[in-house]
Formats: sequence, C-alpha cells, structure tokens
Amino acid sequence: MPDSSRRNFLLAGLAVPAAASAARPSADGQQHPAAARPVFTSPRLGYRILGETGLKVTSVGFGCMITSDASVIERAADIGITYFDTARVYQSGNNERMVGAALKGKRHSITLSSKSGGKTKEAALADLDTSLRELGTDHLDIWYLHAKTKPADVTDDLIEAQQIAKKAGKIRFAGVSTHSGQKDLIPALTANPHIDVILTAYNFSMGQTLDPVIAAAHEAGKGIVAMKVMAGGFRTVKPGNRIYDTLKKDGALLSALRWVLKSSDIDTTVPSMTDMDQLEENLKAMTGGFSKSDEELLARQLERIAPLYCRMCGECDGACAKGLPVADLLRYLTYADGYGQFSLGRERFLELPAEVAQVRCEECSACTVNCPHGVRVSERLARAQELFA
Amino acid sequence: MKVLLAGAAAAALCAAQVPRCDLVPGWTQQGAARAYDASNLFEYMDGNSEGYLLYGFAGMHGVTCVHGGDSILIDISEFADADSAYGMFSANRDPRLPAEALGAGGQVTPRRVIFTKDRFYAELAANPEKDHTPALRAFSAAIEKLLPGSNAVPAALAWFPVEGQKSVRLIPESVLGLRVLQRGYAAEYEFGKAFVVLEPSAEGAAAVMAKLRARFGLEQTSQPAPLLVTDRYLGRLCFMQKGRYIAGWANVAEGHDPADLAAALAARLP
Repeated sequence: MPDSSRRNFLLAGLAVPAAASAARPSADGQQHPAAARPVFTSPRLGYRILGETGLKVTSVGFGCMITSDASVIERAADIGITYFDTARVYQSGNNERMVGAALKGKRHSITLSSKSGGKTKEAALADLDTSLRELGTDHLDIWYLHAKTKPADVTDDLIEAQQIAKKAGKIRFAGVSTHSGQKDLIPALTANPHIDVILTAYNFSMGQTLDPVIAAAHEAGKGIVAMKVMAGGFRTVKPGNRIYDTLKKDGALLSALRWVLKSSDIDTTVPSMTDMDQLEENLKAMTGGFSKSDEELLARQLERIAPLYCRMCGECDGACAKGLPVADLLRYLTYADGYGQFSLGRERFLELPAEVAQVRCEECSACTVNCPHGVRVSERLARAQELFA
Repeated sequence: MKVLLAGAAAAALCAAQVPRCDLVPGWTQQGAARAYDASNLFEYMDGNSEGYLLYGFAGMHGVTCVHGGDSILIDISEFADADSAYGMFSANRDPRLPAEALGAGGQVTPRRVIFTKDRFYAELAANPEKDHTPALRAFSAAIEKLLPGSNAVPAALAWFPVEGQKSVRLIPESVLGLRVLQRGYAAEYEFGKAFVVLEPSAEGAAAVMAKLRARFGLEQTSQPAPLLVTDRYLGRLCFMQKGRYIAGWANVAEGHDPADLAAALAARLP
C-alpha cells in the first residue's frame, strides 16, 4: 500500500547530491568548488502497517547486520527508511553501538528492533539492558527472541522475559525471528497471544511452502517482517558466490525484493545493506511493482536453482525407501558442484555406513522422495553416487 | 573424540590441532565436537553466520568443556587468510576494552575470550555468570600454542598512526559505505577516520579514483591528483592514490586538514 505523503514531498529536499560541496585542486593549487550534480534521487516511499502493532513502517527497511559504515544507516534514515533491525550478537555488540550512533537524534522518527539469543529469562533481560545501553535508547519498538527453529525454542521463560520488558516500558512489542522450521514454528507463534511480530526468512523460492502459514499469521494480526529476501533460496549465496553473482548480474536481486513486497502479508523487509549503492538499488523496489519481467527473471533463476539445491527443510527425512539420508547426500553433492570441493564431498560420502553408500538409485523403479521445492532428487542422488562411490 | 558429522569439516586443522578439553586439567568434553563449513554454519549460529561469511569463513571446529558446574564453549574458525581472521577479530573486539597479548591480538573479559592467530579466530565463552578469567586464560594459552602459523599482526596496522587511535579494523566490503572501495582498513580517531583501500594493481587503483571522481561529480584528470570533497555524511574527506593503494581521511574535524592527513598516511604506505 504505497503512500504518497508529505514526507515524500519533504524528502525531495533531501535528495541532494552526495557531494553537497565538492572541491577539486587545480593547476594553481587552489580549491575550486566543483559543480554539484544529483547522484541520487529520492524514491517514492511505500509504507505499510506492521500487523496489529499499528507501527507504520517503510516496506523496505534496513538490516544492519553486515553494515560496516554508519554513514549508510544515517543516510537511509534521512531518505526516509523508518525501520532498522540489529541484534545483540551482531559483531559482538559493535553493530548495536554503530546503529545507535548513526540513528542518534532520529530515534523518535524510526522503528528500531534488536534481538536476544538468551536461553533464559535472566540472560535475555540482561541482553536487553545491554542493547538499550549500546543503542542509546530507553526502549526498543520490537524485541525479538533470536533465531528460533521450533515451537519448543519459544519457552514460557522467554515469553515471560518479553512480558516483563513490556511492563517496564523497555519494549513496545514482542517478536520472534526464525530462519528455518517456519512451517511448524509460525503456526505456533500465530496462536501465541504474546507474540506481536514475526521476523522470518522469506524469498521467491519458498513461497509455496510458507505462504499459507504467513497468511494465517498476518490474518491473526501478527506483524510480518521478511529477511533473507534475496537469498535465491540458497542459504549460502553471498557476494563472490557464483549464484549470487548471477542473480546480481541479471538484476534479479531487485526482482527478488519486489517479489517479496508484492505479498500483502509481508509488512516490511530488512535486506542487509553495506553501501549507498545497495541502498539506492533497494529503494527502487518501492518505486515499482513486481512486473512481468521480474517474474520471468525469477522464474529463470528458480528453474536454474530449484532442481539443484536442497533447502534442508527436512521434508524428505525418512522418505527414501532405501534409507538414504537424502538431504546429507544433496549437501555432499553441493560441496562438489557448488563449491568445487569434490574431495570434501567424497570424504563425507565415504563416511556413510556401507549399506547406505552401496545403494544405487537406478535400481529403484520409482523414487519415493518427492521434494516440495522441486529438487530432482533421484537424478541428483544418482549423480552423487556416480561421482563419489 | 566424538565428532558431530552432521556438520562437515572443511577447516584445514589436523586432528592434533582441533580444540580439546583435556588441554586444561580437570575439564571434560560435553557432547560431540562440532565441525562446520560455510555451507552449514547457519545450523550452528543461525542469525549470525553472515557475519562470519563476510570475512571469508572457511570452517570451524568447536567443543564444549565442563568442570563442576562451569562450561566453556570453544570455537576455532578458519578464514581465507590472516588478514581476514584479524578482520573478524577486529570487528568483534570491544574497542573500549584493552587488548590482550594473545596471538596476533586478543581480548579477555570475565566470561569471554577472543583472539586471532594467523588465519584462525578463536572464541571462548563461559557459563554461568561469574568471573571465569583463570580458566579462560588457561584454555586460551593452550589453544594459542596448538594453532599453527604466525602471531604476526597484519602489516596494514602499522600504516595507521597510533596516537589518538580508537580502533582499527578490516572492512571486507564497501569501505566508507562506498561500493567502489571494495576492501580495506579503517581506523577511527577523535578527529576523523583514516582508511586505506587495497587494490590489486596501480591501474586498478587509478580506475577507482576515476570512479570516485565521477561519483562526486568532479572532472576527470589525466594526472593523479588528490580528491577533496565535502559530503553530507562523510564530512570533509580526501582520497589519495599511491601505487595500488588509495589512502585518505573522512569526517575530518575542523582544525585538521584532510589533504595533509591523507598525504601523511600515504607516506606510510609501502
């Protein structure tokens, strides 16, 4: 739900050149002001309401995890990004300190979240106090229990910690972040009246699996924040990685962000950003909707990665009639095919029990494993056996 | 030693070099040893693995040791090179606390020790809440001996003046938040931020200078010349090329000259 606000109008004034006043030395050794030119045009910002929290946030937020220079965060806030996310554990606390310094003086106009991986009420509350101190604020808008993978991880003890923090005015809303196991975890969080916001890994390769549980959570009033929106469904895709480079070259990263934003069940996103260029690229996602060309681009990417890469969702556990550890075998193959580490893949394969290592998929008339993500399991397992056995 | 095979071991440490609980008398191993590589680190530390991958993480070996009611988690990560391991250390050390003469650099607090040696980065975390310094120091000293390689600090650290320095660290990508400055070191001072960007060649550095000129709307020059600009977020700054390096200062406070500072920094480069 894009919103043309007064803020957008005002932001035009902020879209000044990065070099507000540039100077260059000339032959006479004097400094001459260089002609300023616009290097960035502020986009039209889109806002959404974060579930029943009522918080109004930009649909593209800022994941501060790997940002190393405060200037990028500062600029994002000036441009109008209103949601910033960090965690106690990022860079052992240095990240929170940098985020706090960058957003100093802007606290009232932004939504700020952090996370604790504390396993007990006491540890989590101690983390919260440290987070507040390092961020230079007296409260967090959202405080997440960090990286939970199953309902049992969200203990009564930790929920109590969030309730204590709420009553003390140290947090406004309670959340849980999750990178895996969402199919079981999100419904449990949806049913939990104490959880206000869910921060989940979500991208174009996961839609079919996660859409129903996310929609139900949103319908129940939970705020939904998406992360890992550009992972291409492959957890280790990073700059320098072959797949990441392909995604980037094709412009698919922006398409991937737009794909997430087209869902009305996603309230905001927190893509990681390390530089001004990335910030500008991501902001473009708010200016245009998900187009036919985005769809085609992602379909090509999905076609490229889907048959090959296991997302380790666990759906295939115990599904092989011959007892093969399917996800493990696919991972060994990824060592060889994805990372060029054939010897590592083979080493792992040879550690399998003999009766498992001797299984050949070609001996089965039909495969009992059906990957919900479209990985061509029998074909990939046969390749692993051919390569490693 | 029992090893958790779910995490594939990619690190190059040989069996004798992986951390063990018997390095300190009285401590015993709890559970299986851990081993992870870049493809599955998230299984161990979901939510924070990107912070490792950013520095070229190659693998990790870990073990949990117990003694009475105390436990210490020991994790040794291997990175692509010593610079990257030091980068991981410098990103995670608290610049407000003193450094410890441990490996190429270390830091000791009552419940945590981190240090780096060669291409390895060690983390030790103790539970429960109390002062575990003696045990942490004992394990750290033993692990430092165990790890192969040199205790030499990255040569880049010597480029930055020590006086007034608050911190110095490797920036693995986008120095100053500018993508064109791909990788380099940055040091914080009371009056500004010094940086050195590392390019593979002088030609590469010249190309980066040209891109900077374009970014800041300056005319291109045929001769190498310092680039002086004032930016809304980076303040008064100066970029200067020396061979394959680009040295400079940003956010320079009044009373200091960015060009003079950059020239002095460039003079310290090889």
